Amino acid sequence: MFDWLHSLYQTSALPGMNLSQLVQHGFNALTLGSLYGLIAIGYTMVYGILRLINFAHGDIFMLGAYFVFFTTVAFMPAGVACFFIAAAFYVIHGIVRGFRRRPPLPVLGLLLLFPVCGLYFTFLAPASFQLPWPLALITAIAAASFCGIVVDRIAYRPLRAAPRISALISAIGISFFIESLSVVLFTGLPRPVLQPDWLMTPMLLAEGSVRILPLSLVVPAITLVLVLGLLFIINRTKPGLAMRAISRDIETTRLMGVSVDKIIALTFALGSALAAASGIMWALRYPQIHPYMGITPGLKAFIAAVFGGIGSIHGAMIGGLILGAMEIIIIAVYPQLSGYRDAFAFTLLILILLFKPTGLMGAKLEDKI
Amino acid sequence: MPAPQTRPAYEAARFLGAAGLLMLALAGAETFLDPYKIQILNLIAINIILALSLNLIYGFTGMFSLGHAGFMAIGAYVCSLCVLTPAYKETMWILEPIIWPFSHMELGFFPAVIAGGICAALAGLLIALPVLRLGGDYLGIATLGFSEIIRVLITNATPITNGSLGIKGIPKFSTLWWNYGWLLFTLYFVVSLLRSNSGNVLKAIRDDQIAAKTMGINTFRQQALSFTVGAFFAGVGGALTACLISTIDPKMFSFLLTFNVLMIAVAGGLGSITGSVVAGIIITVLLEWLRIVEEEINLGFILIPGIPGMRMVIFSMALMLIIIFRREGIMGMRELAWDTPLRLWRRFAKTSAPPPPAKNFSIQEAETMPRSQAAIPGENEFILELRKAGMRFGGVTAVKDLNMSVKTGCIAGFIGPNGAGKTTVFNLISGFYKPTQGRILFQGADITGLPPHLVCKRGIARTFQNIRLFPTLSALQNVLVGFHVRQKSQWWMPGLQLPASRREYAAMREAAMRLLKRLGLDDEACEAAGSLPYGKQRRLEIARALATEPRFLLLDEPAAGMNPYETQDLMELIQDIRQDFNLTILLIEHDMKVVMGVCSNIWVLEYGICIADGPPEAIRNDPKVIEAYLGEEYMEYA
Repeated sequence: MFDWLHSLYQTSALPGMNLSQLVQHGFNALTLGSLYGLIAIGYTMVYGILRLINFAHGDIFMLGAYFVFFTTVAFMPAGVACFFIAAAFYVIHGIVRGFRRRPPLPVLGLLLLFPVCGLYFTFLAPASFQLPWPLALITAIAAASFCGIVVDRIAYRPLRAAPRISALISAIGISFFIESLSVVLFTGLPRPVLQPDWLMTPMLLAEGSVRILPLSLVVPAITLVLVLGLLFIINRTKPGLAMRAISRDIETTRLMGVSVDKIIALTFALGSALAAASGIMWALRYPQIHPYMGITPGLKAFIAAVFGGIGSIHGAMIGGLILGAMEIIIIAVYPQLSGYRDAFAFTLLILILLFKPTGLMGAKLEDKI
Repeated sequence: MPAPQTRPAYEAARFLGAAGLLMLALAGAETFLDPYKIQILNLIAINIILALSLNLIYGFTGMFSLGHAGFMAIGAYVCSLCVLTPAYKETMWILEPIIWPFSHMELGFFPAVIAGGICAALAGLLIALPVLRLGGDYLGIATLGFSEIIRVLITNATPITNGSLGIKGIPKFSTLWWNYGWLLFTLYFVVSLLRSNSGNVLKAIRDDQIAAKTMGINTFRQQALSFTVGAFFAGVGGALTACLISTIDPKMFSFLLTFNVLMIAVAGGLGSITGSVVAGIIITVLLEWLRIVEEEINLGFILIPGIPGMRMVIFSMALMLIIIFRREGIMGMRELAWDTPLRLWRRFAKTSAPPPPAKNFSIQEAETMPRSQAAIPGENEFILELRKAGMRFGGVTAVKDLNMSVKTGCIAGFIGPNGAGKTTVFNLISGFYKPTQGRILFQGADITGLPPHLVCKRGIARTFQNIRLFPTLSALQNVLVGFHVRQKSQWWMPGLQLPASRREYAAMREAAMRLLKRLGLDDEACEAAGSLPYGKQRRLEIARALATEPRFLLLDEPAAGMNPYETQDLMELIQDIRQDFNLTILLIEHDMKVVMGVCSNIWVLEYGICIADGPPEAIRNDPKVIEAYLGEEYMEYA
């Protein structure tokens, strides 16, 4: 009766697997899941607030990877970095204090100092100048969240009052725009990414029978820190309160005197920062970047967000972890299926939408008659 | 605006004339143009077919589909496998040999294209059945996922598709004649379909699904049909593409391809056929023309290097600009008609030409409609019975243990404070909610849990508290949608212009005009329902409900927002239509003058429980009702 189960087991790679491989697969699953989860959070935040699938989110992920490539490997990193830090600074200041208000003098000084440094590094000292790792990361993330705000400003804000589908088409448009612009600016050739040695030297555990990369520990750890930070912002701060209010009722929140556009910009900034962090870690894990690298992880992360229940941050993270684990497990157990890897997630999506469209933790939305 | 009703012979002659002109132009193009230009002409035809199919799915039926690349891939692969010779296939499949029956299949070009279209349509049906329940953007993502799955399957099914190597050397069967022949057929089919009542029904679903359901439309079925037809033409487009460019591989059918089609449909105007045609021409030409930015330009003294990839940058920027600054595209939902140039010229010349006639058809003198039969002898005394019906939402009990029997032929009323559950009862009767307890009987038959469109078919029609018309459809079309439920023609008949369906549609238009005249809306027949004044919208909603030939009419707050004169008219109207159409009417109303004036029996609901029922006098003096709803003031007023 259970013959088919037995033959299923026989055709899989399970019989030949040892402990070391199992542990490695486990860590791979955790890493991939964390990366999906980080991207999924951005989708779920934007969807929760605007009911919009931010197609460009996967491209922000890609930009994050490219920015860290430029700040660590390539030419004129510091110049670009300074421009972006200044811009991000200005935008964040604007969100907190209002764009009309003139920044106080020290801030203004900093704002002016950065572009001057940028000019210097870009044109006067364009040697292969590398930023130290932490600074490079922060710069890349700041740059990516700035791009997220810009995407919202040019592609979504003009369409707030429009039908949702128009905004969705605009999202597809801006996504293609970013991709094709990246092809023009960065060329379509895949580029290698610098991996710090200490992340890539395998650690030996259990008397050398289990080998794991430090990276597989660092990624989940950073993810945990970032998610906790995000939860703190959303649940314990005033802008977070405004975000939660907007997700319930945008018009009423506007009437309560909340500057809705700024909060939405902040949402995009936070989501994009997480996507960029994920993109950077992705680039360390799979060290080749190209302008179309964001499409597939982006779509899969969206599926993870739907799986977890769109609008729920916990749900997005859990959905990401489950999706990552499933992918790794299926391929580890049935290596002969690895060609179909990209089809799993979409099949899962269609199944979820059929049987539990609200996902694991989502709330039900219904049309009022 | 509804398309003007013209004589079929005249229309056919016009169509044939246009086809003849096109043939002349094609013959000219074939003789005088170079292969590159002919290639562009071919691409234009295929792109228009694709854009039309997407427009049918999205622009006219309102289903956001991103699966076009998948359907095209199916069409292209099936067609290529059919047209290649077995011997050639043997040599092509080098990774893994091709398996039977694909190795021995060989068909002519025309059947191969049809086969491609049919396979795509089957795939469309397969995907439609599960995912059409999803609305809006979820549907988009699900169909996008579907097209990715197709691509992965094609890449991996090496014994059938030759895997990632793709298929090369497909015979170039797609000549100008084939492509434009298919384009003409597509146009003919889509235009005929959309000009019939099937078109009205699809647009009604796009405008308001819930209202469409109460009009007796099986929205799911109609959407699935539209999706399948769209997928068929997408498959045909894919097949033609394969035989035009002679090489296909899985990478070709990426999301970018869907994006191109979407771009044409959006730029032309979603919901405009001529828009798709115009945009198909413009964008295909522009895309070719934009190639110059990717090549180097020699200005004689300076060499501008070409920028690879720049074409897509400009292209996506163009889409963004269109969607932000001109969301409705080139044409919006309008169509270019044969007389458009004339009208534009008139506007340009500012001649005081008489405005186009509001009505394009003649109506016989108004006669009351002797449609409904007299009450059938032996019919149940009670047309509607609720037996202990109840509805709970989670922990909230909206309606509990409701027993009511509505006498055939009377006007009954339903009153109660806000949130008492009156509309919930309407939703239970009309099938939007399935009662969590009890039974609902209509004309003696159990209708508990029947979906809305079947409830409508049984003879129950309703209006909504906050009007739910089909705003972009004209008043006439709104009423025509109501006739759909009693219509005999199948959905595909108008697509092929069968005489029976033409005659039926003409008769329906006559009847719809009479109905509009009866309700005093004949002057607004051609105006968009969304632009009518409030009172007329309420009337139109009643007209639309009457078009389904109901036996029982539910009116949800018909007098809301009306001034005393309008309310007076409405009361007369309600009494008149009950007489003329031999109806039973149940209405929810807060205006006591209306309720007490027209109803012969009243139920009072509070917190989902019926606290009183009986004739108006009894209700007026019932202490419980006065306490719960009417209040002391009403006592004084009465």
